[in-house]
Amino acid sequence: MDKRAFKSPSDDIIHDLKILAAEKESVRRKLVVTAAKLAATAEKLAATAKEKEVVRRKLAVTAAKLELSHRTLEKNVLERTKSLEIVRAKERAILLSIGDGLIATDEKGRIILINRTAEKLLGTPSADVVGKLYSEIALLEDEYGTPVQPEKHPVKMALKSGTTTTGTTYYNVRNDKTKFPVAITVTPVILGGKVIGTIKVFRDITNDREVDKAKTEFVSLASHQLRTPLSTVNWYAEMLLAGDVGGLNDKQKKYLDEVYRSNQRMVELVNALLDVSNLELGTFVIEPRSTDICKLARDVIHEQKPQIDARKIRFRFTCGRNLSSMRADPRLLRMVIQNILANSVKYTPPGGKISLSITSADKKDMLIKIADSGYGIPRRQHSKIFTKLFRADNVREKDTDGTGLGLYIVKSIVEKSGGKIWFESPRENRGTTFYVRLPIKGAGRKNK
Amino acid sequence: MPKNKTILIIEDEKSLRGALVDILLLKEFVTLEAKNGKEGLEFALEKHPDLILLDLIMPEMDGQTFLKKLREDAWGKKVPIIILTNLSETNKQSAAQVASHEPTLYLIKSDWKLHDIVDKIDKLLKI
Repeated sequence: MDKRAFKSPSDDIIHDLKILAAEKESVRRKLVVTAAKLAATAEKLAATAKEKEVVRRKLAVTAAKLELSHRTLEKNVLERTKSLEIVRAKERAILLSIGDGLIATDEKGRIILINRTAEKLLGTPSADVVGKLYSEIALLEDEYGTPVQPEKHPVKMALKSGTTTTGTTYYNVRNDKTKFPVAITVTPVILGGKVIGTIKVFRDITNDREVDKAKTEFVSLASHQLRTPLSTVNWYAEMLLAGDVGGLNDKQKKYLDEVYRSNQRMVELVNALLDVSNLELGTFVIEPRSTDICKLARDVIHEQKPQIDARKIRFRFTCGRNLSSMRADPRLLRMVIQNILANSVKYTPPGGKISLSITSADKKDMLIKIADSGYGIPRRQHSKIFTKLFRADNVREKDTDGTGLGLYIVKSIVEKSGGKIWFESPRENRGTTFYVRLPIKGAGRKNK
Repeated sequence: MPKNKTILIIEDEKSLRGALVDILLLKEFVTLEAKNGKEGLEFALEKHPDLILLDLIMPEMDGQTFLKKLREDAWGKKVPIIILTNLSETNKQSAAQVASHEPTLYLIKSDWKLHDIVDKIDKLLKI
């Protein structure tokens, strides 16, 4: 028998069993690995679940906080809204209750707000007026009764120019055609550099006008009452001194002269006081018109001639050639020149010199220069020279005449006319030079 | 110098009226006196003086009213009138009102000597 060719069936079975066993072992090993993997995964899942729970809990807390925040926020918003509304209502109440009339317009001049005072002053309820154009209500007239054109209306001017416009000589015409004098201020409302509307504030100045009128009437009347007895003394003394009612001896003449001159001082004082109160009440009127300046100056000089000659003062006058028809108020110019010149004459000792020159370099201003060789003004009193009722010490000793109001009046007039006055007097007894610069063109008629 | 010309003086202040009358008589004028605008109007329209000296502030009828009424009369329109007052002209409105009725002159009493006023009268009447 061949042993190699002979296999026992149990060899095959053992072979198969061995393979099976190997396969089982392999599977068993795989299962172990899988079980380990499963266990690991289970662990991971457990951890994730824990994390999830933590997150879930945190989310719940946050949600609760958000809920609370939300409720608080809602409450705050409600409160804020309420207080804003209250503030707004208060502001509106303030605007509406302002004692002066108030009208607000948009950038086209249409009315967006009108307060109670405006309603009353104009006689128009707010509802009738909101949305209308500024020129359709509150018709304005000037002091001569001419209606103001919409283009020249203060509201239009504020809208166009972006600057505040005021007017105190207008009259408002109500719906029932009655009128009242009104003071208006229109201010543009500017946001981001653009005019977005206007606010017009106005009030009825009938009362103010009446008070002013009463003041000027009082001053007028008072000065009238003061002047009457002064006129009486003047005229009777004049007739006595002229010998109209008989002769006087020298002593009598002398005494009467004192009376007359003292009276003259009173007259000048009353005139000066009247001027001062007109200047201070603002009722001083400046009325420029075409004036021959050199001729006017010559007239004033002529009036001073008796004193100039009596004191043997050498006088020189020069006047520019281009000044024969300049716009100036002759009455005021006369006052300025007369006052300063009279001072020069008064305060220059006999034999002294005075020169008056008027020039205009550019036809826009004129310069008046009055220089004398007189007593001068002490340095320490320079700052008071233009104050009311002030007279420097050095001249008060020499001459008790003088109201102390002349330079105050001159300075007020010059400054109200847009000019300037100044002087030089470096040392006592070395003379004084006064300079007055006045504009001579383009001054419109003003109440100043 | 014009003799026998009649001057009507309308002035409420007795002493001032007296001084004016005295100086005019001295210069050989004929004088008429009135102490307020009402009297003055009567005398003016009745006697037709050659010139009127008119005060402004007076009782009964003031100078402004007198002037307005007088200028409504045919003769009154032309008679020369010198306003002699102590009221200042710087009161813009009243000065304009007065001027509108054309007084010939507006003089402030306390600024004018009697003799100079007479000179003015002489000049006006020489026309």
